[in-house]
Amino acid sequence: MNAVNPEGYTTADGRKIGPVMMEMKNITLRFGGVKAITDISFDIREGEIRAIIGPNGAGKSSMLNVISGFYVPQEGEVWFRGEKRAPMKPYQVAQQGIARTFQNIALFEGMSVLDNVMTGRLNYMKSGLFSQAIWKGKAEQEEVANREVVERVIDFLEIQAIRKTPVARLPYGLKKRVELARALAAEPKLLLLDEPMAGMNVEEKEDMSRFILDVNDEFGTTIALIEHDMGVVMDLSDRVVVMDYGKKIGDGTPDEVRNNQDVIDAYLGVAHD
Amino acid sequence: MSDTLIYATEVFINGLMAGVLYALVALGFVLIYKASGIFNYAQGVMALFAALTLVGIMDGQVPFSHLINAIFGTDIHHFGWHLPAVLAIILTMGVMILLAWAVNHFIMRHLVNQEPIILFMATIGLAYFMEGFGDLMWGADIKKLDVGLPMGLNTWIDDTTYNAFGYGFFIDNLDIVATIVAALLVAVLVAFSQYTKQGRAMRAVADDHQAALSVGVSLNFIWVMVWSVAGFVALVAGIMWGAKSGVQFSLSLIALKALPVLMLGGFTSIPGAIVGGLIIGVGEKLFEFFVGPMLGGATENWFAYVLALIFLVFRPQGLFGEKIIERV
Amino acid sequence: MAQSSQATEGLASIPALLQRNATRFADKPAYREKEFGIWQTWTWADVKREVDDLALGLINLGVNEGDFIAIIGANRPHLYWSMVAAQSVGAIPVPVYNDSAAEEMAYVLEHCGARFAIVEDQEQVDKVIDVQDRLHQFEHMIYLDPRGLRKYDHHMLHQFSHVQEQGRAARDEFTPDLEARRAKLDYKSTCVMLYTSGTTGKPKGVVLSNRNIIESAKNSCEFDKLGAGEEVLAYLPMAWVGDFIFSIGQAYWSGFCVNCPENPETMMTDLREIGPSYFFAPPRVFEGMLTNVMIRMEDASRMKKRMFDRYMAHARKVGPAILDGKPVGMMDRLKYALGNMFIYGPLKNTLGLTNVRVGYTAGEAIGPEIFAFYRSLGINLKQLYGQTEASVFITVHPDGEVRDDTVGIPAPGVELKIAESGEVFYRSPGVFEEYYKNPESTASTKDAEGWVATGDAGFIEPGTGHLRIIDRAKDVGKMADGSLFAPKYVENKLKFYPNVLEAVVFGNGRDRCCAFINIDLQAVGNWAERNNIAYSSYQELAGHPRVLDMVQGHVEEVNASVAQDEMLSGCQIHRFLILHKELDADDGEMTRTRKVRRRIIEEKFHDLITGLYDGSEKVSTKTEVTYEDGRKGYISATLSLRDAKVYEVANRKVAAE
Repeated sequence: MNAVNPEGYTTADGRKIGPVMMEMKNITLRFGGVKAITDISFDIREGEIRAIIGPNGAGKSSMLNVISGFYVPQEGEVWFRGEKRAPMKPYQVAQQGIARTFQNIALFEGMSVLDNVMTGRLNYMKSGLFSQAIWKGKAEQEEVANREVVERVIDFLEIQAIRKTPVARLPYGLKKRVELARALAAEPKLLLLDEPMAGMNVEEKEDMSRFILDVNDEFGTTIALIEHDMGVVMDLSDRVVVMDYGKKIGDGTPDEVRNNQDVIDAYLGVAHD
Repeated sequence: MSDTLIYATEVFINGLMAGVLYALVALGFVLIYKASGIFNYAQGVMALFAALTLVGIMDGQVPFSHLINAIFGTDIHHFGWHLPAVLAIILTMGVMILLAWAVNHFIMRHLVNQEPIILFMATIGLAYFMEGFGDLMWGADIKKLDVGLPMGLNTWIDDTTYNAFGYGFFIDNLDIVATIVAALLVAVLVAFSQYTKQGRAMRAVADDHQAALSVGVSLNFIWVMVWSVAGFVALVAGIMWGAKSGVQFSLSLIALKALPVLMLGGFTSIPGAIVGGLIIGVGEKLFEFFVGPMLGGATENWFAYVLALIFLVFRPQGLFGEKIIERV
Repeated sequence: MAQSSQATEGLASIPALLQRNATRFADKPAYREKEFGIWQTWTWADVKREVDDLALGLINLGVNEGDFIAIIGANRPHLYWSMVAAQSVGAIPVPVYNDSAAEEMAYVLEHCGARFAIVEDQEQVDKVIDVQDRLHQFEHMIYLDPRGLRKYDHHMLHQFSHVQEQGRAARDEFTPDLEARRAKLDYKSTCVMLYTSGTTGKPKGVVLSNRNIIESAKNSCEFDKLGAGEEVLAYLPMAWVGDFIFSIGQAYWSGFCVNCPENPETMMTDLREIGPSYFFAPPRVFEGMLTNVMIRMEDASRMKKRMFDRYMAHARKVGPAILDGKPVGMMDRLKYALGNMFIYGPLKNTLGLTNVRVGYTAGEAIGPEIFAFYRSLGINLKQLYGQTEASVFITVHPDGEVRDDTVGIPAPGVELKIAESGEVFYRSPGVFEEYYKNPESTASTKDAEGWVATGDAGFIEPGTGHLRIIDRAKDVGKMADGSLFAPKYVENKLKFYPNVLEAVVFGNGRDRCCAFINIDLQAVGNWAERNNIAYSSYQELAGHPRVLDMVQGHVEEVNASVAQDEMLSGCQIHRFLILHKELDADDGEMTRTRKVRRRIIEEKFHDLITGLYDGSEKVSTKTEVTYEDGRKGYISATLSLRDAKVYEVANRKVAAE
């Protein structure tokens, strides 16, 4: 799989995948003495849907947290768009154009759906505290422009009906969608989804899969997602990284991964010896 | 109108004015509590510190003069200048921002994700530290604060009411100014938190740290900002109280009056702080006026706390606080 | 009556009306749609341009006169224009229910032999592609929303805006043809074909001519004095005749503005923002709105609730009288005005009904309480009785003569007669031409003199001339003792309880009646929450003993009320059960318009019916269900069967007579 053209390739369904956008090189992450991630390397290409899968406790979420800056690895390098990334705070990562969602949903419960999605635009708001007080016109223009982007996202994810609803009152499945909306409002270059389908029923899972595909298709957004449920991932992603006990045990197209003996063993729970 | 009613009206209006000042202090508490979940015990001391600094800067006092004189055997007290009030207020604000940065950098930053009680203890420590630090910097004597606010009896109200009721209301000009300033302050704060980028970010941080980080908000920046805003509110409160009753240690005790205000209004509500302040202000004045004489007076010392206690029993979340619902 | 074959002012078709509106009301809003959170507006002049572009584009694609064009989607201005564009080129629009399953859609498309379809989005495109192989004449599909369709094979698939662009580009070439085709349209040409989702059998294509639609629109507009200033919200299925009359017939006749909601779920918000002056809703919508109000009042503070209760009681007392212009005392008027300021006004505002001048409900009987609630608020809610075959209007309530137990007097131009069997017949200019490719059904429904059978049993009230409907003619049966069996009558009484969503009563040819009940998950769920009853599913809630107790109370109240009517007292419910699943159109138990399919239910749940009649206390059963994606599964349950108290009628003489 690593033999693909560095400039990118075209998928079977005609989507153009570009060069490498993000590369993780020999990442190792420890909590005290416990190794959560051991020497993992992989890359994410422009325009692709990249999945990280593995059984519970495989270190998938830790990996996502390394990418989004919530954890700083003890060893290894993170390269983003051809540059080595210095250790960063999560908010700096977000400002670079990497948006994410959380496994356990982190929304602003006290705000309406609209306000939540608007926070996704915070980094696009240039007018500072004082200019906002003085140049009212400019600030208003900016507000309108940002609101327009937000409305398109709301339309895209079909959450018009709950625009003004306080998030705290929404059911779980819709909250997940609002969280995705907030991430999308930031017009991210790379979108990280932490178990986007966890805890959903069949219908909600199908909706979410469709939204993920549509986002990638319509906006060309690069997506990296973590999933526990192997079936969903295989239909969705271009390439898959498989982790088990903090190590990478497979990397390739869904078909390659499906036929990888180590992966089969890990999912069937064969004893490691 | 009967005489009692006329007197009561005057007492009522004075109560409103006093309430505004309580509300100002309570506002500072609410801001920090909402944004960081910290109950800032030092808010009152911050008001004292702000007032001390303002007086010091205006009068050209040399900071730490006692210390300097003791060490170097010098005898300096004043730079010899007298700054205009506006400039002094701006400089003081600068000091408050510096203070906010220091509080975050040296204390709060290290206590992220600690239990609320630990954060609370930290602010108690901060309160005592700042009290001593203020004394050391500016001296412990009672100072007079005059930033040129109109003071004394408002003669227009006095005349008008005298003509109308045959009894002139005694309303202090300073109280009127305080009311206007408080109203403006609230308007500015609301506009700030609703319509500015920083305000939105502040609400985001108040709601969920993780989510705020994920949309690119720097927590440290917001916390410094929140402490600065609280410092600004403290400064305004310090000016008002200082002008009214002189800058002295007892100023920090008004913080304790803010507690019942918060219990009434709710710890998380800006309108709650205002309404709570007004209720306490009016309540204690009217109670003193009507019931006070029967109980031998001085009811103002305890009325607010008893009222708060009653509220805690019947509506623990306060008038405007978020309803505590536990759904099955 | 003499039916004029001459159209008024030479306006013999919808496209002709559009030409008139584009000059007469050029700058007046004709359509609004909320998109990206903002209401977009099109004037009549804009609409003419859009329709012309599309019509030219359709000619460009090869649409011939007499072709059928299926229109599939939710209410959107572009889809309404599609219908008019289709008419403009001499084709016949066939709106199809957008929630129909692929199977139903295939039947309709094949039956009319549609060559073209104009659809809303990917969902509908997928459905049509699924069944495309079975459609012999089908050629091109035009879609509105390109999302997700970029990678589809575009040989036969076209984007709406592209079709319009191509039409505009070929304007010089095709305009003469378009003009010629439009000129050929007259009162006799077909305006639209609508498929009725009959309670039994395959849907039938009702052919309605321009005369049917325009005469009906004209008469009804005059009856209710509808003018160019009305605002309506188009939210009911486009395939339903009512929507066609309101959003096309009447809108084009009087030139008023049609507003399309942002999406189906935002309907209530959009309603509030638009504040329509002319509003139609089936009873279930009014019921749902009332339930929401009541639920919110349960959560309101005690003072608010008390004030609400007191003023609503007053409104019930004098509101309808004030609305009908009857004499009401000064004090009562004053109190009503006060209530209007504090309660009724704000309430109407939250419901979006502040501006409603004429409101209609139809389709099913509306609960007297619900009806009274809206009328007491000062909303001029009326009932009408109609059918697809009549271009809607058969009878209507005139202003000032509104009652909950009748469906009004014959609409302008309508004649009524009641047959021996009690079945209602009518004749009017709105009477349909024929059922498409189904002469037998046409003949059995419409006789040579133009009288149409409604299939409903009813009678004309002496004195007032109002029509009263008892039940479906074929459903009115006889019990074993010969007394009248009118299930719908009892079911409606049950459904008036907010907790009861559906009821099915059995008893034809038997000695006593029994019933299936469906509870309303929202209402009962709310009640359960307030009473600390935990439940995880509909099934669990439906089987809860306290829910059964509550429903038993309702059933017994209904029995008491049925017992009052000596003709129908035999219809009291002796035993009932609460079904373990909601009746669902996907499972074939209801029609798409949510009417129960009695026979299918009877077959499907025969074990439960047996249980009801043999006196068992519990019955275990297993039922097949269809999920929304078409997969099937089974649910099994053990149901408790309950006895209900029945009331004796003192002077029961039905059997004797």
